[in-house]
Amino acid sequence: MDEILKFKANDLRAKICSGEVKSLDIIKSCVTRIKRTDLKIGAFLKLNEAKSLEQATYSDKKIKNDERSGFLEGIPIAIKDNIMIKGESMTSASKYLENYVSPYDATVIEKLKKSGAIFLGRTNMDEFAMGGSTETSAYQKTANPWNIKYIPGGSSGGSAAAVSAGMVPFALGSDTGGSVRQPASFCGIVGYKPSYGLISRYGVCALASSFDQIGILSRSVKDSALLASAIVGKDYRDPVCEPKDWIDFVSYIDNDIEKLKAIKIGVPKQLFNYKIDAEILENFDKAVNKLKFSGAEIIEIDIQAYKYVPALYKVIMCAEVSANIATFDGIRYGYRSRNARNLDDEYTKSRTESLGYEVKKRILFGTYVLSAKNYYRCYHQAQKVRTLLINQITDAYKRCDFIFSPTTLQMPVEFGEVLQEECDIFLIAANLAGLPGITVPFGFTNSGMPVGMHFMGSRFSDVRLFQIASAFEKISGFDVNKYPEL
Amino acid sequence: MINYEFIIGLEVHMQINTKSKVFCECSTQFGSEPNSNTCVICTSQPGTIPILNKKAVEAVIKTGLALNFNINKESTFARKQYFYPDSPKNYQITQANPPLCSKGKLSIVVEGKEKVINITRIHLEEDAGKLVHEIGSRKLDYSLIDLNRAGVGLMELVTEPEISSPEEAFEFLSELKSIVEYLGTSECNMEEGKMRCDVNVSIRPIEQKEYGIRVEIKNINSLSGVRDAIAYEIERQKEVLDSGGKLIQETRLWKAEEKMTKSMRSKEGALDYRYFPEPDLVPFELSDSFIEGLRKEIPELPKARRTRFIKDYGLTEYAASYLTSTKAIADYYEKALDYLEDKKVSSQLLANWISTELNAKFNTSKLSILESPVSCQNLAKLVSLILNGTISGKIAKTVFDEMFKNSSSPEKIIKEKELAQISDEVIIVKICEEAIFESSKAVAEFKSGKEKAIGAIIGLVMKKSKGQANPQLVNKILIEKLKK
Repeated sequence: MDEILKFKANDLRAKICSGEVKSLDIIKSCVTRIKRTDLKIGAFLKLNEAKSLEQATYSDKKIKNDERSGFLEGIPIAIKDNIMIKGESMTSASKYLENYVSPYDATVIEKLKKSGAIFLGRTNMDEFAMGGSTETSAYQKTANPWNIKYIPGGSSGGSAAAVSAGMVPFALGSDTGGSVRQPASFCGIVGYKPSYGLISRYGVCALASSFDQIGILSRSVKDSALLASAIVGKDYRDPVCEPKDWIDFVSYIDNDIEKLKAIKIGVPKQLFNYKIDAEILENFDKAVNKLKFSGAEIIEIDIQAYKYVPALYKVIMCAEVSANIATFDGIRYGYRSRNARNLDDEYTKSRTESLGYEVKKRILFGTYVLSAKNYYRCYHQAQKVRTLLINQITDAYKRCDFIFSPTTLQMPVEFGEVLQEECDIFLIAANLAGLPGITVPFGFTNSGMPVGMHFMGSRFSDVRLFQIASAFEKISGFDVNKYPEL
Repeated sequence: MINYEFIIGLEVHMQINTKSKVFCECSTQFGSEPNSNTCVICTSQPGTIPILNKKAVEAVIKTGLALNFNINKESTFARKQYFYPDSPKNYQITQANPPLCSKGKLSIVVEGKEKVINITRIHLEEDAGKLVHEIGSRKLDYSLIDLNRAGVGLMELVTEPEISSPEEAFEFLSELKSIVEYLGTSECNMEEGKMRCDVNVSIRPIEQKEYGIRVEIKNINSLSGVRDAIAYEIERQKEVLDSGGKLIQETRLWKAEEKMTKSMRSKEGALDYRYFPEPDLVPFELSDSFIEGLRKEIPELPKARRTRFIKDYGLTEYAASYLTSTKAIADYYEKALDYLEDKKVSSQLLANWISTELNAKFNTSKLSILESPVSCQNLAKLVSLILNGTISGKIAKTVFDEMFKNSSSPEKIIKEKELAQISDEVIIVKICEEAIFESSKAVAEFKSGKEKAIGAIIGLVMKKSKGQANPQLVNKILIEKLKK
């Protein structure tokens, strides 16, 4: 593996600016790495080789001529295939959008274009981000770089695998119910989901609007902070996006492990109600001890509503899915059946032929929970329980600063096997409550698979979350320079 | 014969008069090139999110305030789900509960009696696009979709079932239309589809307590259509019940050409719209000062203005009603009146000219008062020329025709066409003498006691003077001459 690929995005940024490293060389290395390894992994749906090389040459010229360079000038980034880039395809890994071309830029893409970042390619995902293994993609499977028999997690599995395999320094994903953090953990990298309303959702193909957030996958906490700084900010085009001023997250990160002193870390006692993989539990105990050793106070917290998380997530998410996916009807764009005889037939056949099993299942379930007969019993009840969960979490934050847990309760499974429903509940809780969460790789199992730990902060505590995660990263002893052998 | 009571409720959709659509920045211009007023949001491209147009919210609140509604300070949007090709998201963003406005009322006068109709709610929602099945007269074997209207703001107003006759429904809508036009919150043009009205009709024997079977009528596109459709439907329902038949709960379409309603679908397989709160739009909170600010913007409304016109200008009920039926006409009247000296004397005459001559011109030319070729100032001049005797009422009509044709001032027309009334006695005496000389037969009859014969001589005088001779003077002089 090319040494240049081992630099973190923050280092690349400094080296490109000083002229020490050329953007063109980085892109060339990335392309070579992708060409050599991605046949095995299947992380990318599309590689923008020619355009990336062209952009890199332009960035290098700008830097050489001392022209004003952007925040991420010349740095490659991979984009999950559900984010709009004007003039480019956007499939959301669905057959329905096979030939769709984005007519506009997502807000984050607009910002990244201004920053001079280079969109190296589009990464694979579960169809419309529905899934936790990237297996529901209509196009290809993505393998876990640490063991290609295993799933990379999902739905942002392509982004996670690409970063993990050293194909690109960082990537954008989207996180509706752990879809950035779970694959990041499975692939041994950092995964960050911002507070709901911190980053504009405009231009992200909607899954469940009240949970969706763009997230970041990177090799270090500081790299996540760097990319977050490039895309954060108010946006009138997303009404739930809070009118907050721009934050330079990177400037707050100093790897200072002193930050862990006198901090209160809450561990939910509900964690132990579940079947947890033994090696994950072992690593978790180690992590807790390291935190204690660094001066953090560990507090047991009680959030009884955690037990409702899988059910209430499923009800609300599917309800929103059923409405959001309704626009894919074969009428204005996307897949249209050639066998339809009338309007209803066109709807039915276009959707039947182009949408996958998981998507159909969620549409049906969402339609069921919203029907007049079931609305109060299912959807309305779930919203009430959601409020209960939020209240219990808010109460818990009166006693602690962060909630700490293993990222997942299970290790990645082989293709075709199913993860248990509870696997991601500590991640989903963050989506249900609109809170920021970050997974940091901590150790490896005996079979060489990575294990991640998860911090969840209170709403808009993202700066402190980065600080704590960065300090934890330092004490974890995880070797970020270790790459899977491919 | 059973005596029935009629129970009628209205659902009125009014397009909100804003420059841009309710959830995106596209223009609301009527009659634009198909699909030219569209964007990524109103065509529902992936990843797009609605942005609420504040002006649309203001318009709904203003309308609510004018109709004595309670404004709900905390309000939310909901998704109403159904598949139809004119609805790009396959759900409509609308409001469930609470709507922006609850519990309003409007008082109407039918056959001299005042009645208050309670209004349940007004909420804000988005309009759908339009399907096109033919181009010109050519029927297509496919359908085209025009999304220009998709996402235009609508306010939907729902009345309580308190309307009890076609006339009341007509009055309610006329009054509503007039108020909304005064506010400027909707153009309420039914022909352009900017105001649409669905009607719910049921009947029951007078002594019966429970409601009858409710029938919904759609596809009505004029005010008189609403009246006719209700009248037809009441008769139809009576006939069914009187002949021992049973009504079914259904939706019927009004066929304007055939003047009848036809069944569209029964309500048994009623659609389940699967409403749920719109997650993309945050619930909004309105402050008291925001609402009070809008209340201050409400102009004098038709009823108050009508009362004032009767009181201040001494107008008849009819004239005041006509003049205040739209804000534009009332404004025109008051502006014209400003140019006149003695308002007490001129107010009714001016009112008559607007309600008869000017109104007739608008009806034939299809122009609106805002496009009137006759300015208020010129109409005022014409009225004062009549009042000071410069022209007769009859000549004034000729002058008015010219004014409407060429937008010119009455003085100019009178001068150019020499239409001023002749009140110079010397000239009139001369014409009268000529006429008497040429009408020997009539003169003889008059002298023999047949006084009516003078009419023929007057006619000749008017003919000779091209109608300009002052009729009173002619009469006086002829009698003097003939009785000598």
